[in-house]
Amino acid sequence: MSWLSRLKAARGGAPALGKQAEQTLRDWHALPDAARDRPHFESRYVVVNTEATGLDRDRDRLIAVGAIGVDGGLLHAADAYYAKLDPAAADALAGLLGLTGKNPLVVFNASFNRNMLERAFQEHLGLVPEFLWIDLYFLLPSLFPEKLDRPGRLGDWMAAFGIETFQRHHALGDAWAIAQLFLAVQARAPSFGVNSPEGLAEHQHAYRQKLKV
Amino acid sequence: MTTEAANLLVGASTDFLRNFSPFNRMEAEALAFLAERAVLAFHPRGSDILTPEMGVPRHFYIVQRGKVQASQTGSTTVTEYASMTLGPGECFPIGAISARRPSTNAYVAVEDSFCFQLGADDFLHLMQMSPVFHLFCTQYIASLLNQSRQQLQTTFAQRAAEQQTMTTSLGKLVKKDPVFVTADTPTRSALERMNELRLGCMVVVDDERRPVGVVTQSDLLPRVILAAFDLARPIGELMTANPHQLPTTASAYDAALEMATHGVRHLLVVDSDGILKGVVSERDLFTLQRISLRQIRAGIENAADIQALQRASTDIRQLALNLIAQGIGAEQLTQFISALNDALTRRIIVLARERHDLLGIDFAWFAFGSEGRHEQTLSTDQDNGIVFRVVGSGQVDEARRRLLAFARTVNDDLAACGFPLCKGNIMASNPDLCLTLDEWKSRFGDWIREPDPQALLNASIFFDFRVLYGNERFGDQLRTWLNKAAKGNSTFQRMMAANALKVLPPLGRIRDFVLEEDGSIDLKKSGARLFVDVARILALRTGVDSSSTVQRLRQASTKIGFTPEEIAAIIDGFNFIQLLRLRSQHLETEHDTGDDNRVDPESLNELDRRILKEAFRQARKLQLRLKLDYQL
Repeated sequence: MSWLSRLKAARGGAPALGKQAEQTLRDWHALPDAARDRPHFESRYVVVNTEATGLDRDRDRLIAVGAIGVDGGLLHAADAYYAKLDPAAADALAGLLGLTGKNPLVVFNASFNRNMLERAFQEHLGLVPEFLWIDLYFLLPSLFPEKLDRPGRLGDWMAAFGIETFQRHHALGDAWAIAQLFLAVQARAPSFGVNSPEGLAEHQHAYRQKLKV
Repeated sequence: MTTEAANLLVGASTDFLRNFSPFNRMEAEALAFLAERAVLAFHPRGSDILTPEMGVPRHFYIVQRGKVQASQTGSTTVTEYASMTLGPGECFPIGAISARRPSTNAYVAVEDSFCFQLGADDFLHLMQMSPVFHLFCTQYIASLLNQSRQQLQTTFAQRAAEQQTMTTSLGKLVKKDPVFVTADTPTRSALERMNELRLGCMVVVDDERRPVGVVTQSDLLPRVILAAFDLARPIGELMTANPHQLPTTASAYDAALEMATHGVRHLLVVDSDGILKGVVSERDLFTLQRISLRQIRAGIENAADIQALQRASTDIRQLALNLIAQGIGAEQLTQFISALNDALTRRIIVLARERHDLLGIDFAWFAFGSEGRHEQTLSTDQDNGIVFRVVGSGQVDEARRRLLAFARTVNDDLAACGFPLCKGNIMASNPDLCLTLDEWKSRFGDWIREPDPQALLNASIFFDFRVLYGNERFGDQLRTWLNKAAKGNSTFQRMMAANALKVLPPLGRIRDFVLEEDGSIDLKKSGARLFVDVARILALRTGVDSSSTVQRLRQASTKIGFTPEEIAAIIDGFNFIQLLRLRSQHLETEHDTGDDNRVDPESLNELDRRILKEAFRQARKLQLRLKLDYQL
């Protein structure tokens, strides 16, 4: 129960979590850690994406979160989540954890999205959940150099794959596009000997190292 | 909030699907079902999405982005395209997933592609819930039927063209290897050979097999017999030198012209080196011209004797082959055959009447069974009977005696013209089947009141009666009476229905087809009859007058609540089976083997197999309807 007391302490006089959100959080903590060495087709990834007041990760605030599960290489409309932080930010974030579970998270541009999310988790839930973060910002150019041989913007990658979405710059709208890009990543990765969530994380790390050289 | 997200994504998929047919016409509820259930997957360029080896497809795919190529696998081309590219909004497979059989095509992503996929069960559910989608799939399968028919045309067109047109080259027309002798052959042995092989013409060649002369039958009288020619002398002294010859590339028309110009009955056909290839006779050319619908009809109507009608009967078979080649569907084809056979039978009856005294008898000649339904194929037994009444003061039994003698002549003549005598003695010359109207009603009434197995079997043959010759009013009266009697007796209908459901479509659970012991499917017993039996019951119940299965189904459909699309699909299924029967009978006829309603599904191409399976599914649908109606 330590995490719960820590949470209560952190939140101080803030209103308590909704009953359901509290249960969701409790369930999340009870989950075993997701395996990181399973092949893609046996893994469930979750694409997460944020919508913020701007692009300055220190000054701007998180407005909404969107998430889509990628289970066994398939996108299913029912396996998705979208919530605005206003008015009940804690509930919104707890709900997000309800969908992600402890599965590896896929984002486009982790430095912004991960930062935004972790700050919001800390602020509203009083904890920073541990995830394996997979960043398409680096993975895409490393796996598809023939399309774009350096990190690019989401719009560039969508154009390169002819991918469209129902609403750009919307947390779920962009997540839908990122999820489609991730399907392509999953299909391509094995030809680089990358077969698991762990492998993706390592591959992305190696690519970043190479960029620095 | 999971709901909110799901709604957004489902909405997005719905908007996407709405850009394409048939989804843009689909009912809102069905489209929502599709968008909710469909999941999106990625297929990199060059990857297989669905292949025949993957077995029964587990998903139905709709291309969302990219290009998918469908290509034929295996050696036979079963559709008009060898390969076809599918883009966004197009879907596959339809036939395979409907019929739960492996796809005949291989579907490969030729670009990086995204496809929505719907589980097979959801696909079938969607077909059920959406009339629009159902129609889309049915029409797709119907288009397969068309393709199959076209393919059938090409198969036959070549053979028909060879046999039919005057533009056929002589090289193709000459079928038999030529018979020839050299000029030094003794005349006796050459003539013996002619006699033995029943040749009208013997060709004399040199050592290189180039023709140097001919001897024809008409030469024998003046040159051999009257001239007292010594048969020991060489044939070279007897022959007509410098015979008429044409190259293999000349047409049948050229040959006819040559014969007419020179007044000869035989022409020699030689290749470009002048070497003998064969002989064309006037008779060969005559056969080419003779076979047309109009000519056969005229031939039948003017026939003075059975020999002339026998020739007409052969021509009818030949015509049927030509009609298949011209792409006429099974329904029209069987009608043609039926119409010509009717004309033939009528002519036989007219000729027989001239030899029998039927004065004071008003009668009609009934056709039963498949002949009664206008569904005769090429190997149908006779099934006929007579209904009559005595005009004036004559005795019924005396009239019956005279009719029976007359009927015996007709039955025998029909047999001589290729309609085998009925093994079950369902023929007008059987005293039990030469009855007055009241006697017929009483027989039919017995069967309806006491539907034991024999009565039900009888009903399935005799209730398909129609008047082929004579007073039509007998037929109308009997039909009206029968419809009333059968309609009023639900027990009888129920028994008929139970009987009709005894034979099930030969669809397998694991394999495609359930086969007979010899590995074949009986297209009559386990195919056509399934439709015929249900149609008969529907007709009796709804008071349809027609005896034809297709007409019965069409006319009854509105009264029993089948949509026009549904009934059209069922009729297509029936017609396809009939077409397969006709086709196999044709081939059988040419090879002179026995059983003609059997088909080995392995001998069919992929497309025909798929359609045959669909046809059986339609039969199952029809049977299911009967099952529900009678709670069987």
